Amino acid sequence: MAAHLSYGRVNLNILREAARKELREFLDKCAGSKAIVWDEYLTGPFGLIAQYSLLKEHEVEKMFTLKSGRLPPADVKNIIFFVRPRLELMDIIAENVFSEDKIHSSRDFHILFVPRRSMLCEQRLKEQGVLGSFINIDEYILDLIPYDGDLLSMEYESAFRECYLENDQTSLYHTAKGLMTLQALYGTIPQIYGKGECARHVANMMLRMKREFAGSQNQILPVFDTLLLLDRNVDLLTPLATQLTYEGLIDEIYGINNGYVKLPPEKFAQKKQGEASKDLPTEAKKLQLNSAEELYAEIRDKNFNAVGAALSKKAKIISAAFEERHNAKTVGEIKQFVSQLPHMQAARSSLANHTSIAELIKDITTSEAFFDNLTVEQEFMTGVDTDKVNTYIEDCIAQKDPLIKILRLVCMQSVCNNGLKQKVFDYYKREILQTYGYEHILTLSNLEKAGLLKPQTGSRNNYPTIRKTLKLWMEDANEQNPNDISYVYSGYAPLSIRLTQVLARPGWRSIEEVLKMLPGPHFEERQQLPAGLHKKRQQGENRTTLVFFLGGVTYAEIAALRFLSQMEDSGMEYIIATTKLVNGTTWIKSIMDRPEAQAP
Amino acid sequence: MAPGALLLEAHREYEKCSQKADEYLREIKEQSMLGEAVRQCVEAAGHEYDSNTQKSLLRAASFGKCFLTDFSAESFVSTCRELRVLNAVRDAAVALPLTHTQFKQMTLQVLIDRLVYRQFYPLAIEICRYLKIPDYQGVSRVLKHWASCKVQQKDLSDESISRAVCMKVGDSAGVSYSDIAAKAFECGRTELAIKLLDYEARSGEQVPLLLKMKRSQLALSKAVESGDTDLVYTVVSYLKNEMNRGDFFMTLRNQPVALSLYRQFCKLQEQETLKDLYNQDDDHQELANYYVTASYREKRLESRLSLLQTAVDEFNKAKNEFAAKATEEEMKLLRFQRKLDDEKGAGLLGLSLQATMEALLALGLQKQAEQLYRDFRVPDKRYWWLKLKSLAEKEEWEELEKFSKSKKSPIGYLAFVEVCMKSNNKYEAKKYVTKVTPEQRVKAHLAVSDLEGAADAAIERRSESEMGAVLSRCSDSDRLLIDRLNRAKASAAKK
Repeated sequence: MAAHLSYGRVNLNILREAARKELREFLDKCAGSKAIVWDEYLTGPFGLIAQYSLLKEHEVEKMFTLKSGRLPPADVKNIIFFVRPRLELMDIIAENVFSEDKIHSSRDFHILFVPRRSMLCEQRLKEQGVLGSFINIDEYILDLIPYDGDLLSMEYESAFRECYLENDQTSLYHTAKGLMTLQALYGTIPQIYGKGECARHVANMMLRMKREFAGSQNQILPVFDTLLLLDRNVDLLTPLATQLTYEGLIDEIYGINNGYVKLPPEKFAQKKQGEASKDLPTEAKKLQLNSAEELYAEIRDKNFNAVGAALSKKAKIISAAFEERHNAKTVGEIKQFVSQLPHMQAARSSLANHTSIAELIKDITTSEAFFDNLTVEQEFMTGVDTDKVNTYIEDCIAQKDPLIKILRLVCMQSVCNNGLKQKVFDYYKREILQTYGYEHILTLSNLEKAGLLKPQTGSRNNYPTIRKTLKLWMEDANEQNPNDISYVYSGYAPLSIRLTQVLARPGWRSIEEVLKMLPGPHFEERQQLPAGLHKKRQQGENRTTLVFFLGGVTYAEIAALRFLSQMEDSGMEYIIATTKLVNGTTWIKSIMDRPEAQAP
Repeated sequence: MAPGALLLEAHREYEKCSQKADEYLREIKEQSMLGEAVRQCVEAAGHEYDSNTQKSLLRAASFGKCFLTDFSAESFVSTCRELRVLNAVRDAAVALPLTHTQFKQMTLQVLIDRLVYRQFYPLAIEICRYLKIPDYQGVSRVLKHWASCKVQQKDLSDESISRAVCMKVGDSAGVSYSDIAAKAFECGRTELAIKLLDYEARSGEQVPLLLKMKRSQLALSKAVESGDTDLVYTVVSYLKNEMNRGDFFMTLRNQPVALSLYRQFCKLQEQETLKDLYNQDDDHQELANYYVTASYREKRLESRLSLLQTAVDEFNKAKNEFAAKATEEEMKLLRFQRKLDDEKGAGLLGLSLQATMEALLALGLQKQAEQLYRDFRVPDKRYWWLKLKSLAEKEEWEELEKFSKSKKSPIGYLAFVEVCMKSNNKYEAKKYVTKVTPEQRVKAHLAVSDLEGAADAAIERRSESEMGAVLSRCSDSDRLLIDRLNRAKASAAKK
């Protein structure tokens, strides 16, 4: 069921199993039949840890979504609230409990805080006068959730906003805790590198927490050699660019949520023989996307322009495999063929699905609008005319294209020019306010605070230097058979991944100058290993680095890291962790401010 | 004679170098009782008080063991160890004359407890170390008791006690300095408790006690140090209840992390306090944003406008000219919208400027739209787009033509072609094709599906890529055109 988590260099299934065990233990603590009331945000991430069947085995009979008012009726012994520690949720729980007590008095209430209990919330429940109604108040430490064999995410949506706009470091505390849990399972990570304020803060907390556990030494042979902590604001450019890998485009266009994508159903209509497709399905087609699907694992990280070829190659292989049946003469051969059938059929349906998805995406990527948008992005990234008002952006505003699209482009121009000229800056802002409404003045102010959109100050534009030193733009990116990470954006090599690449070889000392231009400190820390745990590396054995993106990471960046892992001479394998999987749209959205509904 | 007694005898003879030793041994072995004999000796040793007798019994057992091949030494070893412990506590100084049976009955844990209770700390620690008891149940536990007792010694100074405790306890796992400090606090030695808390590595543990001791400032900085934001919140909400508002704000001011967390809390829970916080810091930019946000919660226009006016003032104080001006514009727009809503029932309130102009044009209120365009200094380009689309939508083609001729279009004429085509009016679209700049002319011809025209334009411009674009739109029936384009392409390539 989650076997794909254990295929990678690091068996992430251990983490999942540990999480499942803890969940079972908690459920068993509440004896008897149960109903779970869910904080809706948690259902997605939880689905990756435990399906309904596991809950059912532990007498969970009903599930509700947490909402104010009275709880729906359920003939169960226990009501368990699974919630994030947020004050507004506490008020809803209190309401639930109040309206409940009068009808049934024999039900037991429990709370499970995810990922950590909070005194503040308990205090709130106390003020509301319901704290005493709870038999169990517990925490379920779920910081890092395995999304794939090489990918962990906290799915902490507001992390970037909290860290960079509100100076609230709660997410970083959870990050540090999550890394401690990871080290408890996979051994102490001997080397820590980092770049950025948040990275520094996380590393400090980790070292501190380690001191707090002084005396109890971790006796597990380290699986990770290095941890690299990267602040998202070190590389604001990458998420703004349109991702051009297959998985990246699926996310850009349809949005991948907790490993699932919802697609327009028309292309997936089952065409049965002799039956006209009378009723097209109207419900979105929901597909799970991860490396458990062989074909998807093969094509997800390819540049989209290389996906078509890969699909048709696969199609040939599959039909050749089906043709084999004609060669099967003896009973033994037929038996062998039949035994392979289920696998072949799965492969065929997977091929059909991805062909449909690729068609859907192709309709968009071949459109003029997509092309124009990409052209402007690439001009900005190569430093063409970044200091004047861009006509394409102007036109898009005039056409009232979605605001987020405009913001992505304007921010990109600002980042690639190290700030916009005051006149240009004010012009864009005015255009946005007049067209989309003055309420967006708050969003613009947020973007400024985050450094995404800013006026040019005295200092000169250092982006060209950064671009040249780190080779962020590669003129002849090979999309079909890539030899450099720049293929993920058809020319642009993500800054964050370049930093990772340089760290592995030849080391950050070679780029001191550029590091100084990027925000926040860079640092290196070592954690002492107990004697006897120093790894004796086999010849040719790769080193393993955990790269942690604080504030979000895109699928294209993940693809670039996977590409580096697969490069024969890189000598490094990467495991990726983040506070949230993002794309430009979800990321910008998380920083936007929407004042409450306007007066009618 | 019991086999054990015989074995003891055998060993005695052996020490005397007498051959009888062999004789006795043989006798035991013949009855296959050697194992039993060893066991008896070990057991007997356990019950003996006199250490010399214990020794000779154990030596006999050890001697007998040599002739056995598969004898487990476990009970022998544990008896030796336990006897050593028992002998130590039977010493007159301790005076616990326990029998081995009693000892087994009461367990080692209890024995250590008794020693601790009677304050034989060094002995208890030695025993724990000797018997290799895990730290948590052993040494650490004894140290904890010792330290709790130490802090109660009234004749010693805070300094010397804390130093002594630190020296002994060091950073042994499982000894919690905060527990020791709590004990000190219980005995009324607050200063000592604070000193001891300094050694506590886990800030989370320090905070509750510090709060209890009313060292709230210190508690706050420890909470901040820990990075645990929930802990910071806890201290902050405690402080809020304990202190008067002025002191509370001052305290927060010195702790930026706590201050921003409190702001977060206020954003969700106490909007009014948020304002006071910004006021205290003279943070006019945030204050302005606060008023802007507040204005959107207001239903009545007057209150909205007055909040926005306050925002303008704050933006000015923050020297954010742009935002001040933009907010003034917003107010101007709101007033304008209400006026029109009152006069014409236009339902404009709350729309953006662009949407307002769009609505006005749709309602045929040209003049008012023009007025906004001028008053708000809307760029020509955007206004032309707006008017073009609006006229096409209403299919006012004559008006559109007039508009196109009113002056040179800032958005070019390809836009006119495309917008007309979007309304499926090829006839009108064609009118603008000739006005399109040469660079876009091929595109314009193609937009109205005029392949001939597109080909002419492309050939005239000798642009290979444009010819290619036209070719890609040709179908088989356009044989002649294709040939012509290919020829032109070839000749263009030659040059």
